[in-house]
Amino acid sequence: MIQKLLRITMILGLLAVVGGLGRADVLRANDDRDRDNRRPPQVLPSGFESTDRLLDDVERAENAPRYSAWIVESSRFLNVPHRAFQPDVGDPPFVDLPVNVGILKDRDGKITLYDSGWKQLAYIFDWNTSCCWYGLRNQLRAIGLNPDDVIRIVLGHGHWDHAGQLSEFPNAVVYIQKEELKQIDFFLNYPVDFNSGHIRAVNTVDPLTGAQVGPPAQACARTPVCGYPPQTVQEILGKVLHGKAKIVDGRHEITRGLVIHPAFRGHTYGSQLLQVNTTRGQLVFGSDTYSSWTGIRDWFVANIQQTDTVQQFLAYEKCYVLTSRLNSFNNCIAAHEPVSYTAAYPITSNWWNIPNGNCSRAAELTLANGERTHVPANPDRTPPGQCVSVIPPHTISP
Amino acid sequence: MSAEETLTLTSIRGLSDLPVGAAMGAGRSSAETMMSRASVLLQLWMTPKMIILGLVVVGLVGVLTFATSREVARTATPVTATVMPPARPTRPALSPVEEAFIQALWPIHGEVQRSLMRTSLGQILYKTSDLSRAELKARMEQAQVVYGRAETSIRALEPPASLRNDHQIYLDGVRLLRESAVEAMKMFKDGREDHLLTAYPKSQEASDKIREVGGKFWPNEFPPN
Repeated sequence: MIQKLLRITMILGLLAVVGGLGRADVLRANDDRDRDNRRPPQVLPSGFESTDRLLDDVERAENAPRYSAWIVESSRFLNVPHRAFQPDVGDPPFVDLPVNVGILKDRDGKITLYDSGWKQLAYIFDWNTSCCWYGLRNQLRAIGLNPDDVIRIVLGHGHWDHAGQLSEFPNAVVYIQKEELKQIDFFLNYPVDFNSGHIRAVNTVDPLTGAQVGPPAQACARTPVCGYPPQTVQEILGKVLHGKAKIVDGRHEITRGLVIHPAFRGHTYGSQLLQVNTTRGQLVFGSDTYSSWTGIRDWFVANIQQTDTVQQFLAYEKCYVLTSRLNSFNNCIAAHEPVSYTAAYPITSNWWNIPNGNCSRAAELTLANGERTHVPANPDRTPPGQCVSVIPPHTISP
Repeated sequence: MSAEETLTLTSIRGLSDLPVGAAMGAGRSSAETMMSRASVLLQLWMTPKMIILGLVVVGLVGVLTFATSREVARTATPVTATVMPPARPTRPALSPVEEAFIQALWPIHGEVQRSLMRTSLGQILYKTSDLSRAELKARMEQAQVVYGRAETSIRALEPPASLRNDHQIYLDGVRLLRESAVEAMKMFKDGREDHLLTAYPKSQEASDKIREVGGKFWPNEFPPN
């Protein structure tokens, strides 16, 4: 009898232990559909999305309309120290970085842009380390698309090289994360008591000496406000005041087959991805959270700005999940991948120099809805090293 | 002892144990003898141990080949060649007077930019109900003070002849900001939010002017990101 009781007690004890482990709600992240009321108020949800939720989005999108997709190169940073871009990859020591903009056309012919390139002509002219800038409207025309068909612009983040030219598309609705805007505002006013103003620095001036500090010793390159010139924020304000902005908070389905996924701190505080349903599976555009495609492939961080490297990896994983049915990481679309427009980045291999496009390039990623190819019959594939770009129109002379 | 050495020793031992004399004594042809030898050899080789050993070796070779080819592919990834630098004039060195002017403008520039950012974001966050009307008003009032002070300070600067045009553009920019702020402030008197929209074109033009001059005076102000 005693032995029986002992056995029952042991079994119950074991069940209790197993049950305790199984509960594990402290260890396991909650699905974002479950509200966690116990989360301390100062902790942000950080755009968490469960794998199951992402796979739901894949399944849903697969039954949605498909999109044709291209990228164009808004401009190109030249001779960037490789390790400044990818700390774990230093060969070759300097690289050229394209600034890629995504173009998505739906079955009704309407266009959604992912990012909008840059606007700062003076920067290109004066700094002299960039090339190939060409206005986005002209780029669209030159590859056979109508810029007036642009109805949406999804901003992967708000940095100047990705959120410029918004005013060129007055009818387009801009999508940006609230988190992105709130963080700039928060850090603009950050106290200076213990950091001499470093944390709230808005540009490359050393707050201690007042001296202008350029690369490589950039005073603000990693500060939260750096990268958002007033001009860029003004353009976003213009959209808001004209009722042409949607301030998004986390995941958001724009329309069927087009889903925004948060990637908070993947590059900036309010970075966001865009899942697009296509004939080659789900494409995931990542702006600077996906600065480097080889970085996603090989699990290296890239372009660390206001980045939490763990969050960048988790954003990489989101792409792996969303593309798990077809083509995997090959469908992750990077903004600054040095091997863009070559066979080494397969999805961008069908590329050409944009006619009269100042050496900027375009690539056709995938077609749908009977869309015919926009690649010219005899595409100009003059290598970058042999293409001569010119100074864009510029209002102030040196 | 490595796997390869074990294999060699086993083979030698197998050969020495062959019943060669018995086979020849039966008067078989040399071809038959060869075949018989091969069959015996095969029997000796086809032990479970040898099969496992073989599989392990094949597996190892496979892993090594895959790893090597992956490494080669990774290091062979081509990187975009440097584009030919655009033909453009060399930036002329600044004279001491020009440098002094630009340095004097710097703290004003910083203050103007910060105020412009705070009012722009203030309006956005007001529209999203993340900032109260009173908070926005406070920001706009503060900005008005900054723009007024900046205008006075910039007027007091004496630019060298070479930078007079830039000086004027910057001054125009700050004037536009002040005027824009005055227009926006009307919202707090009559409650009509469309004053923000009316005020906007001036602040947008101002931000373009300030960016242009800033790009010239402080070319590294906003680094690549």
